[in-house]
Amino acid sequence: MASEKRDERWDWDSPRCRAQLDEIFFRQHDYIQTGSQDHRDFWAFFERFQRFKARKELSGSKDNKNEDPNSSKSRKSGSLDLGLPKEYDARYRINISVNTKDVEDKMQGCGHRQRQTSSGPGKQEITDCRLALLHFLDFCQRQGFNKLAKLRQEQRSLPIFVYRDRIVELVKANPVVVVAGDTGCGKSTQVPQYLLASGFNYIACTQPRRIACISLAKRVSFESLNQYGSKVGYQIRFETTRTLATKLLFLTEGLLLRQIQKDSLLDQYQVLIVDEVHERHLHCDFLLGVLRALISSRSDLRLVLMSATINIKLFSEYFRGAPVLQVPGRLFPIQVIYQPIPPEEQVSRLEKLDPRPYLRVLQGIDQRYLPEERGDVLLFLSGVAEISTVLEACQAYATHTQRWIVLALHSTLSLAQQDKVFDISPTGVRKCIISTNIAETSVTIDGVRFVVDSGKVKEMSFDPKAKMQRLQEFWISRASSEQRKGRAGRTGPGVCYRLYAESDYDAFAPYPVPEIHRVALDSLVLQMKSMDLGDPCSFSFIDPPSASSIQTALTYLRDQGALDASGELTTIGRLLASLPVDVVIGKMLVLGSLFNLVEPVLTVAAALTVQSPFLRSAQHNPDCATARQPLHSNQGDPFTLLNTFNAWVQVKGERGGGSRKWCRRRGLEEQRLYEMVNLRRQFKELLKSHGLLEEQGTGVVTPEERKRRRERLTERHQLHQIKREHDLQEGSRRKVLRLEEGTEDTSGSDDETSGKKGKDKKADGQSVDIQEVKFKLRHNVDQLQEVASASQDLPSRQQALLKLVLCRGLYPQLSLPDEHNATRKDSEQIFHTRNKQGVVIHPTSVFASDPEVLHVPDQEGSQPGADKGQSSRHQLLAFVTLLETNKPYVSNCVRVPALQALLLVANCLDSNGNCTRLVADGWLELCLSDGERTLGVISSALELRAEWERLLQAQLSKHRPSGRDLERLSDRLVRFLLYTEVNYSVRRLTGLQAQNLYVGPQRDPDPSDALALRSVFRGVEPKPDPIKGGLRVSSYFTYNCLSDPTDLYSECLRTFWTCPFCALYMPFTPLERMQHQAACKPPEEIAAQEAEAECESEKAVKPSSSSLTRLYHCDICNKDLTLTSTEILKHKRQHTVAS
Amino acid sequence: METRVEGGAIFTCETCSLSTPFTYFGQKPPNTRAIVLLEESYVLKDPFSPDREKFIVLGSSCTVCSKVVCVGTECSLFYTRRFCLPCVRENLDQFPQQIQVELAKKKAPLHT
Repeated sequence: MASEKRDERWDWDSPRCRAQLDEIFFRQHDYIQTGSQDHRDFWAFFERFQRFKARKELSGSKDNKNEDPNSSKSRKSGSLDLGLPKEYDARYRINISVNTKDVEDKMQGCGHRQRQTSSGPGKQEITDCRLALLHFLDFCQRQGFNKLAKLRQEQRSLPIFVYRDRIVELVKANPVVVVAGDTGCGKSTQVPQYLLASGFNYIACTQPRRIACISLAKRVSFESLNQYGSKVGYQIRFETTRTLATKLLFLTEGLLLRQIQKDSLLDQYQVLIVDEVHERHLHCDFLLGVLRALISSRSDLRLVLMSATINIKLFSEYFRGAPVLQVPGRLFPIQVIYQPIPPEEQVSRLEKLDPRPYLRVLQGIDQRYLPEERGDVLLFLSGVAEISTVLEACQAYATHTQRWIVLALHSTLSLAQQDKVFDISPTGVRKCIISTNIAETSVTIDGVRFVVDSGKVKEMSFDPKAKMQRLQEFWISRASSEQRKGRAGRTGPGVCYRLYAESDYDAFAPYPVPEIHRVALDSLVLQMKSMDLGDPCSFSFIDPPSASSIQTALTYLRDQGALDASGELTTIGRLLASLPVDVVIGKMLVLGSLFNLVEPVLTVAAALTVQSPFLRSAQHNPDCATARQPLHSNQGDPFTLLNTFNAWVQVKGERGGGSRKWCRRRGLEEQRLYEMVNLRRQFKELLKSHGLLEEQGTGVVTPEERKRRRERLTERHQLHQIKREHDLQEGSRRKVLRLEEGTEDTSGSDDETSGKKGKDKKADGQSVDIQEVKFKLRHNVDQLQEVASASQDLPSRQQALLKLVLCRGLYPQLSLPDEHNATRKDSEQIFHTRNKQGVVIHPTSVFASDPEVLHVPDQEGSQPGADKGQSSRHQLLAFVTLLETNKPYVSNCVRVPALQALLLVANCLDSNGNCTRLVADGWLELCLSDGERTLGVISSALELRAEWERLLQAQLSKHRPSGRDLERLSDRLVRFLLYTEVNYSVRRLTGLQAQNLYVGPQRDPDPSDALALRSVFRGVEPKPDPIKGGLRVSSYFTYNCLSDPTDLYSECLRTFWTCPFCALYMPFTPLERMQHQAACKPPEEIAAQEAEAECESEKAVKPSSSSLTRLYHCDICNKDLTLTSTEILKHKRQHTVAS
Repeated sequence: METRVEGGAIFTCETCSLSTPFTYFGQKPPNTRAIVLLEESYVLKDPFSPDREKFIVLGSSCTVCSKVVCVGTECSLFYTRRFCLPCVRENLDQFPQQIQVELAKKKAPLHT
């Protein structure tokens, strides 16, 4: 009766009642705490448990009756009495008890005193709850143990498992071991664990891809039961989970090389595992070479190479016959069907691919296999254009049959779209993934049963002659072909359709061409130089690159100023070697750090290093195009990227996670912007660590600042919490694709259809934008916003300077617009580089849609009296990449004023006698109408370059130049860039012209020239050039060395001229005229100069009282004389006559 | 007998040879307050949980034959104390019918 009464008052569903039990069982220090996930799980479990008990009780009496006779049965004689309770109770199955007697007692006591009428939990409730808790704990134990047991079972069933002891033995006994095993043998996850478990510490395992580092570290830490510790970690460019406790580290090949740069013996590691050596990436080949040398100086180091079972001998022999352990893979049988494309369906290189052979395979699958038999298709094509052709045809077929979902997979897709290939298709529908070779190694998709192989791949190669990358289509190798086939047998028996003949297969090369034979070796050679590896030509690579390829790189690095004439690293070269970026980008960063341009240069350098955030697919979407318009800058693509980044940062600051939508509207891949912001920060830290940027001063902290920091700290705390929760939920189930999923892609747009928008919005609201969280954790948005708004809408002066910095960074990657471009259609604009004629602008560039800004303005070109093509507005295009696909394309371009840019950055400038003709780098000829003004311009350019170099060297040797000097230099550079008004024409020299450029060495150059030059170019000592002829004024400027029939006369051709200042009227050559003018300056200019000179240095020589005279030191009579320039000439001639 | 075990100690089931490190042996795993184990157990800090007090019982000794067995249902069962399955089979008549039925069922899936 009493208990009935209690039941009336006790309500299991009431939060108040539950809270009372929480007080007993789930206190703050209990195993399960109120508010935790386990606590929520318990109450959910409790409800199920109560229902189960109620059901049991209904049928319970019957069971008991059946049991009674059983239990009374006498036991077999002779056996041991276990003394087990006769009556079964599930409670006896649980090996845990919960002792809460102390609390219960207290609660009971309290309850009686405090609330006589209230309904504290009675004995029965507490017992019920305890029983439920015991069952819950038991349930949790079972779950945990099963998970562990399953994990161990999976590990034991891997083909490599039986070799575990053998591997450990081999590694203990040999400095180098090769482990060769095919897909699915488990080598990448298990070998590091075996070594770790056998007592090796400090193991590094390299991977060719960053993503593999992360996923392997995750998997291995889970498998080695270290999910929440840091024993297993990864380190990639922006992220590391490495701590002092880390014993096993997954890192990229490039990163390990960087570590060797700093720590040449790699003392921090005991074992190095180099995985996927058969892929033969540039970094990997180089790494093997470095490690080969390293093991001889570190006998304790152990090296393990892991490879697929191809070309194993090569690796073993390279390491002096290292032992090989071969492990069978775990692949299901795969049937190979050769279905060569009939001749009428084969197309030439320039035509669109015929999709019919591919369609037939899908039809064949539909005919032969029931739709219920699951299994997806993976189709390999060479490139994006081929993919979209076949995709279109397959999608039409899919719509018709309702049995297919067709998806594309290539690296220029948005990440969200790439991710779709992992989703599951509904029953009765197959996925058809049309992919580039990205799915051959980098991306692994489960559930593939059919592989369709076109046998083609587009591969990058490098043309050293044109300094151009080329993306060409090739037949794949037999090794690739087998790798593609293997993708069909990962989860069950499969079929591989090869769209080529077996004889084609037999004719394929055995292995793909290693990267080292296909790419420019600039960065590699630079790195080798900085690691003191001696002559790159004699380094013992596993498969050495051609000597000419190395030579090209050496020449390039010399042109870039990273190496000096003798091939040694320069100061800037040493710095560039330590930056993990292309040489040109590194140069930009260094140059930018000098001027007050660090922030925009950091952004541009980062933007040019990552993949473009502008999605190609969105380019033809009018909405995206309109939304993108305000971001465009007709100064060049780096400026568009800069605008985009800055605008994004503003949106981030104002709307946080709303940036996702902002990006979607503009067809931007936000992931790339996140990469940019990370990279930018890394660059900044690098510049700081090299003393190129001042550390931000830790001045006085204002109360507001302190408050803001506190707020930020609280926010960070919350963000960490969110990130942790997100990490816990990770690995959630894959989504199921909808039948129409694929077809949306055909529109070529990333903008979701209206139906999907609603769904997405909901998803957006629920799921955490983890990228946003990571972003906020890593960056101070306020600070970013500040620097972004500072580099937004740069004043034109800053813009001009930034362009110059970019141009000097990119030099010699310059191109000249063809002179007839103004009369051509937009799509037919052509350009010329030094080594390649007729290149075009990549359609993604702003100049592709707006080429007029590169044309010479009309009114100037047709000025009366001016020669054809003469203007002061010629421009050059500096570019980041030159890549040939079906045409040679330049991309990421920036336009610069031609004459000024060449004078300021070219490595080689040559002039004729009267400076009406200039040739830059032996391929660009400038014809100038006014030689005398040109001479003046050259003279200022020389001064500017000298000053620029001086300040740069000071900066590099960590004596930061004074702000005033920098201010003045940038001011003068800007003036030079913006206000140099000289009319000229510019053209590319033909090969023949370029060959016969110079007069050659002269026996007795006119000494007066040297003298005159010395007075025009302050502080130089012109010397006859032994090869070109003429006079070498500076390392890059040679005067009067150009052979030109017209020059023969002009040199001695004097024209009458009146000096505007002293009214002297005489015949002059342009040089003489310049020389006179240099001395004869208007009084106000002298005064200004005087003031400037005084500021610059106290020791500066004061000009004499006469405005026409200057101080002249004659070396012959060893006297300081005050003379006019004409008098100097006369004085000098005196000596010549006398001798 | 109660030990907190430093790294390196391995628990191995003598029946299925499941092998994994353990972090504690005894009846009172660390930081678990009201929880007590009813047998001396090999315990591992739960590697799948970020919380430091969560644990997994790996196994213990059979109270009949003293073999070290894991808690997996193929190797042992707990009925007021730990029995390895061979010992259960040996003394099957002493176990309540529920367990007898369970064990009879178990034989079938073993062969598939």
